[in-house]
Amino acid sequence: MAEPPATVTLTIDGRAVTVARGTTVWHAAEQAGIDIPIFCYLDRMPPLGACRQCFVRVEKMARLQTSCTLVAEEGMVVSASTPDVRGAQERNLEFLLINHPLDCPICDKGGECPLQDQTFAYGSGRSRFVELKRDFAKPVSLGSVLVLDRERCILCWRCVRFGEIVAGDDALKGFERGFQTEINTPFTQPVRSKFIGNTISICPVGALTSRTYRFQARPWDNDAVPSVCNHCGLGCTVWLDVRDQTVARVRPRETPDLNDIWLCDLGQFGFEWLHAKDRLTRPLVRKNGQLVETTWDEALDLVAARLAESRQRGAGRVGVLGGARLTNEDNFLLRRVFREIVGTPHLDHRLDARPGSASLQVAWGLRGPLAAIPESSLLLLVGCDITEEYPIAWLRMKQAVDHGAQLYAIHPKPLEIHRFITGRLIHSPGAEGVVLAQIANAVRGQKPDAKVLQEAGVDPAVVAGLVARLRAAARPMVFIGKNALEGPAGTTVLHAAQRLQAAGCMIHIMRGKGNAVGAALMGVLPGPGGWTAPEMIQQAARGALDVLYVLGGDPATEVGDAHAWAAAREHTPLVVVHDLFLTATGRDADVVLPALTYAEKHGTVCNLEGRVQQIEAAVRGPAGARGDGAILLELAARLGAEWSYGGWEEIFADARAAVPGLEIGAFRTPPPLQGDWPANGALPARSADLVLITGEVLFDRGSMTARSPAIADLAGPPSVWVHPADAASRGLVDGALAQLSVGAAGLVLRARLTEEVPPGRVYVPRGYDAVPVNRLLSWDQPLVTVSLRAIDAAAAAGPGSEVAP
Amino acid sequence: MPAESVLMRFVEGEGTADLDAYVQAGGYEAARHALTTLTPESVIDIVDQSGLRGKGGAGFPTGRKWKFIPKGAPVKYVVVNGDEAEPCTFKDHMLLERAPHLLVEGIIITAYAVGAHTAYAYVRREGYLARERLRQAVAVAYERGFLGRKIFGTDMDLDVVVHTGAGAYIAGEETALLESLEGRRAMPRQRPPFPAVAGLYGKPTVINNVETLSHLPAVIRLGPEAYRSLGPPALFSVSGHVRRPGVYELPLGTPMHELIEHAGGLREGRRFKAAFPGGSSSAILTAEHLDVPMDYEPLRVAGSMLGSASLIVMDDTTCIVRVVARAVGFYKEESCGKCTPCREGTYWLSLVFDRILHGRGRMEDLDLLAHISKGLNGTCFCLLGESVPPSLDASLQHFRHEYEYHIGTGRCDVEDRLPPQHFAARSTGDPGAAAGTPGA
Repeated sequence: MAEPPATVTLTIDGRAVTVARGTTVWHAAEQAGIDIPIFCYLDRMPPLGACRQCFVRVEKMARLQTSCTLVAEEGMVVSASTPDVRGAQERNLEFLLINHPLDCPICDKGGECPLQDQTFAYGSGRSRFVELKRDFAKPVSLGSVLVLDRERCILCWRCVRFGEIVAGDDALKGFERGFQTEINTPFTQPVRSKFIGNTISICPVGALTSRTYRFQARPWDNDAVPSVCNHCGLGCTVWLDVRDQTVARVRPRETPDLNDIWLCDLGQFGFEWLHAKDRLTRPLVRKNGQLVETTWDEALDLVAARLAESRQRGAGRVGVLGGARLTNEDNFLLRRVFREIVGTPHLDHRLDARPGSASLQVAWGLRGPLAAIPESSLLLLVGCDITEEYPIAWLRMKQAVDHGAQLYAIHPKPLEIHRFITGRLIHSPGAEGVVLAQIANAVRGQKPDAKVLQEAGVDPAVVAGLVARLRAAARPMVFIGKNALEGPAGTTVLHAAQRLQAAGCMIHIMRGKGNAVGAALMGVLPGPGGWTAPEMIQQAARGALDVLYVLGGDPATEVGDAHAWAAAREHTPLVVVHDLFLTATGRDADVVLPALTYAEKHGTVCNLEGRVQQIEAAVRGPAGARGDGAILLELAARLGAEWSYGGWEEIFADARAAVPGLEIGAFRTPPPLQGDWPANGALPARSADLVLITGEVLFDRGSMTARSPAIADLAGPPSVWVHPADAASRGLVDGALAQLSVGAAGLVLRARLTEEVPPGRVYVPRGYDAVPVNRLLSWDQPLVTVSLRAIDAAAAAGPGSEVAP
Repeated sequence: MPAESVLMRFVEGEGTADLDAYVQAGGYEAARHALTTLTPESVIDIVDQSGLRGKGGAGFPTGRKWKFIPKGAPVKYVVVNGDEAEPCTFKDHMLLERAPHLLVEGIIITAYAVGAHTAYAYVRREGYLARERLRQAVAVAYERGFLGRKIFGTDMDLDVVVHTGAGAYIAGEETALLESLEGRRAMPRQRPPFPAVAGLYGKPTVINNVETLSHLPAVIRLGPEAYRSLGPPALFSVSGHVRRPGVYELPLGTPMHELIEHAGGLREGRRFKAAFPGGSSSAILTAEHLDVPMDYEPLRVAGSMLGSASLIVMDDTTCIVRVVARAVGFYKEESCGKCTPCREGTYWLSLVFDRILHGRGRMEDLDLLAHISKGLNGTCFCLLGESVPPSLDASLQHFRHEYEYHIGTGRCDVEDRLPPQHFAARSTGDPGAAAGTPGA
C-alpha cells in the first residue's frame, strides 16, 4: 500500500498553504500568518472545540467548522474571513460578553487579555444584552495563591484541563452546569497543586489571578527581564516583571525543551523574599561576642588579614562551603581566590552531604536532556520524590506516562503521584540498595530472591513486572535522588545503577539545587588533597581550620548532623558568611557579608542538564549589599592580586578558557556513571521503634520560602507525618503537638496523620529552619529511631523544648 | 395495533418482566438462533437489511453503525443508552419496566454480532423501577445461562453491567454518556473519533438506545424482509392534548392525524393547534402538517424531524410563547456548560422570554430572539443547543402574533380568548403549566 504524502495543501482565504499531514486548520492558518481567534485551545493540550470562536467555512461542508478540531485535508478550501464566519465570531463574542463584567480598567489581565484583544479585533462594539449582568461575591479564594473572579470566567476549560492533562493533579474542576457552571476545587478545599500558577498564565481572561500580583501593576508598567529560577536546580527560564525596582511577579519564559511554558508554584510565587524587609544591608562583625554593623572596608580588611594570616601558617587551613546559589562567574572567582591566592584545596558546594556518602562520589545531573524523558517507555525513581524535588521534571514524566510509559518508584513511603505509578516498591528504610541490586541482577538474568525482597518490604511480583519491562523498554531511565544517595545504601544503589546502565538504562543523578552543577563545573569541589564538605566540618571540629568561608548556604540547618556543624563552628576561629539574611549560621558567624540575589546579578548559571544559561539583573538590590563576585574581587585585591575584570562577560571569558564547552546555550552533560562503588547486600536490622525518614518538600520554610508569605502558607506548620495506627497507639490526634525525640534531642511538631507514610515510620520534611530536623540526625547513625509522644501545649511552652509555631 | 406487534405484545397485559413469561412468549429464541446458527457477519447483514434505525433521536441505521466497529480490535464494548430524558419521551422506560428481557436479548445479539464480551446499560437515575426491573432481568438471565460463560453452549461469553446514570439530560448524548460512564462530568466529546472507533475507555464501542436493541429479537425472528414490511415498526410516545396519552406501536410512516386518533383524538370541542413530532428538540408543526407521515424523510421535508418519535400534541388552549419559553428553560437548565453558544445563548433567551411573559417585552425583542437563535444555529458543540432554534424559529414564523400580543398588551391572547373557567384548576408558578402546556 502506498504511503500517503507527508504533507497536504489546502487553501485558506485564497492562499495555498502546505502543512504536515495531521495539522489542524487552525495551525495551518497560523503557519500562513492568518489569525483565527480562539479561547479554549492551547497548543500544549489536545483541541477541545468548546469556545466556538475559531469558526471557518469549508467548501462542501454544511456547517461552520471549528478550525481547532478540523484536520486539514488535501484540496480543502477554507475561508476564515467571509461574512458568515465573521458574523458567527461576532455573535459568539457577544455571547461571551453578556456575562463578562468588562471591568478591564481594574483587571490584572487588562492589557494582556485575549478576550480584550479579540473583542477589539472581532467584536461588534455593541451588545444587545439589556439585562443586569451576573454579580457574584468576589473574589473566591482557591487557596494560598489562587484567586477566582467568577463573573470574569468564560469557561474555556483551560485551567481544568491543565490539571487533568498537563499536571495530573486534577486541581480544578467544573461544578454545576449550563450558565451556572463554575470552576472550583474538589470539595471547595484549598487548591492542591504544585503548578497552579500556570492556570493564571493560560487563563484567557482575568478570572484566575494570584494573590501576589493582584492589583500590583498593569502589564505596560512592567519591564520584563529574562532570568533563570534558582530554586530547584532545573533552572527553569523565567521573566522577572519589574516595576519601580521591585519584582512584581515571576512568569514562565518559554523554553520548549526545558520548562516549556510552565513553572512550578515555588518558582512562580517564591520570590517575595527578594524584597524582604530583613535583607542584610551592612556587613556585620563579631565584637565582644556581639555581631555589630560595620563598614565594608573594615569587614573586608578583617577577612583578608585573617586569610593572609592563615596562608602564612600553611596551606590548607581554610575551608570553603557553598556556591550553589552563586553564578558561574562568582564560582569561578571563588575557586580562583581560594585555590590560587589563599592556596587551599578545601572547597565544596555539597554542604548537605554525609561523610562518605554516595553523593560525594558521583557527578550530579541528568545524563540526557529533560525533553527526552517523554520518549522513554520506562521510568524508575529511586529515592527521588520528583514532585517535591524537581516538579517541572514531573510534567515530562506525566507526558511519558500519557504516551504509555510505565513508572516505578523505589521509595520508603508512597509518593504524591502514586496513581500514575505502575508499581510501588515501598521498602523498609535503608533497603533501597538491596532492592535495586536485586533488580539489576534480575535484568541480567539472575533470579531475584523473593525472600530478600519480601524482607525489604517490597512485592516480588512488582519487581518481576519491572524487570520484564526494563528488559523490553525503549530508553529506560533511572532517577536517583538525594534520599537514596545520602542513605546508608547509597553506594550499593550506585553499584546497581551502574549495572543497569550497562544493560541500557540512562542513569540520572537528581541532586543539587540552584546552580550546584555550575559550581561543580567551576571547580568548587575538593582540589588535590582537599576535603569534602563533611570532611571539612569534621576537621574543623578538630581545630584543623583557621577560617570557614560559607557562601549562600546555611550549614547550621542544612548539614545532616546539627551537632557536627556546631562543633566545627566552635573550633574554628573565624567563620565568614555571605548571605541575604541573618541565618542560623550567620547568627553564630564572626563576619557576615550582605550579598545579592540572582535577580540582582548578571551572569550565567547551569542547570541539572548542564545547560548554560544567561541571567540578567532585574533590580539593583538593597543599597549596601554586594554581589558575591564583587566581594571576592575586593578580597583578591586586598590579598595582593592584580586582577582586572570589566564585567561578568570577562569573567565568563576566563571561565570558558578553563572549562571547555562552556557556551551560553550549550550543554555540559555529566558523563555516564563510572566508579568502583562498594555494594552491601545486607538488609538493615529491623527496628521495633519508629524509624525517622526525612525528605525534601517543595514548600518548606527555609530562609527564602519563609519570607515569601504565599509559599510559607502552602508549607503549613512544621509537622511529623504519622500513620494513623502509630498515632492511635500513642494517643495522637491529627494536628496535635507531638514530641519527637532521639536521646536527649527533641523537636515539637504538629502530628499529621496520614497513610502516606507506612506504619513503623515517621516522616519529617526538611527545610523548616526554625525547627530543623537535623537536630535529630546524626552522621554516625544513618538510620535513626525515634520516640514519639503526645504533649499538651502548655507543657511544650516550657524551657528547653522547641515549640512549633 | 397492527396484525404483528413486535414489541407491545411483550408489554401489554402482565408484561414479561418475569423470565418465564418472556420465554413462554418465545423469548431468547432469537438470541439462541443467532448464536447457534448465524455468523456474526450475517447477523450484522440481517440488521442492516431490516431498515432498523436508532430510536434515540438521531435515527442512524443500526447495521451501518455496527459495521464501523473494527474487526480486529481485541476489546470492544456494547453500551446501552437508557438515559431517556427527552421531554415527553417514555417508551424506553416502559420497555425496561415491562419487558426488560427484550433488551437483554438484544444485548446478547448485539454483543455477538460485534464481538463484545462486556456490555454496560446506562439507565437514567430517575428511572428507579426501570433500573430495578433490568437488574432483576440481568440477574435471572445469568442464573439461566443466558448471560455469563458459554451462552447457549457456544463459546460466547458476555457480562452485562447495569449502571445508574448521574442525572443530567446531556448524559443521553452518546459521548457524554461515555464520559459519565467513565466517572467524569457528562460533557460531549469531540467526534471524530466516533465511539465505534474509540469509545468507552478508548475502545471500539457500539452505543444503542434501549428500544433499538429491543427490536433485535424481532428482527432476527422475522428476518429482514418481514420485519421491514411491518413499516418497519416503531414505538411512538404520544402526549399532550390527546385523550389517551401513551406508547403506541405503529408502522413508521403512519400519518400524524392517525397517530393522534390512536391516542384517542383531541378533547371534546378542541381544535388542533400545533405539535412537536419528535420530542421538544423537533421543530413545531402546525395543522397544515396533520397528514405528514411520521417517518424520517417526510418530517425532514416538513422542516422538523422524527427524533425520538415523541408526538406532543397541543390544542387551541395552548400559548405557544409559553411552550417555547418552557422548552428554552429546559435546555438552559440542561446545557452542560461546555460550549459558549448553548451555555450563554439559552441563558440569554430565557431572560428575554422571562421579560416577555412578565409584560416587560419590547417589539425589538422579536428580532433579538431571532438573532440569538441564529447564534445557536449550527454553532453548538452538540445537538443540545442546536435543539433550541427549530421550535423557536418556527414559533416566530407561525405564531408571531402571539408574541406581539404578549408584548403589546402584557397579556396572553389564548387566555384572553378562553373562558375563565378553563383556568380554574391551573397550577401557579410554572409558566409552562399556566396555559395548559402539554407534558408539563
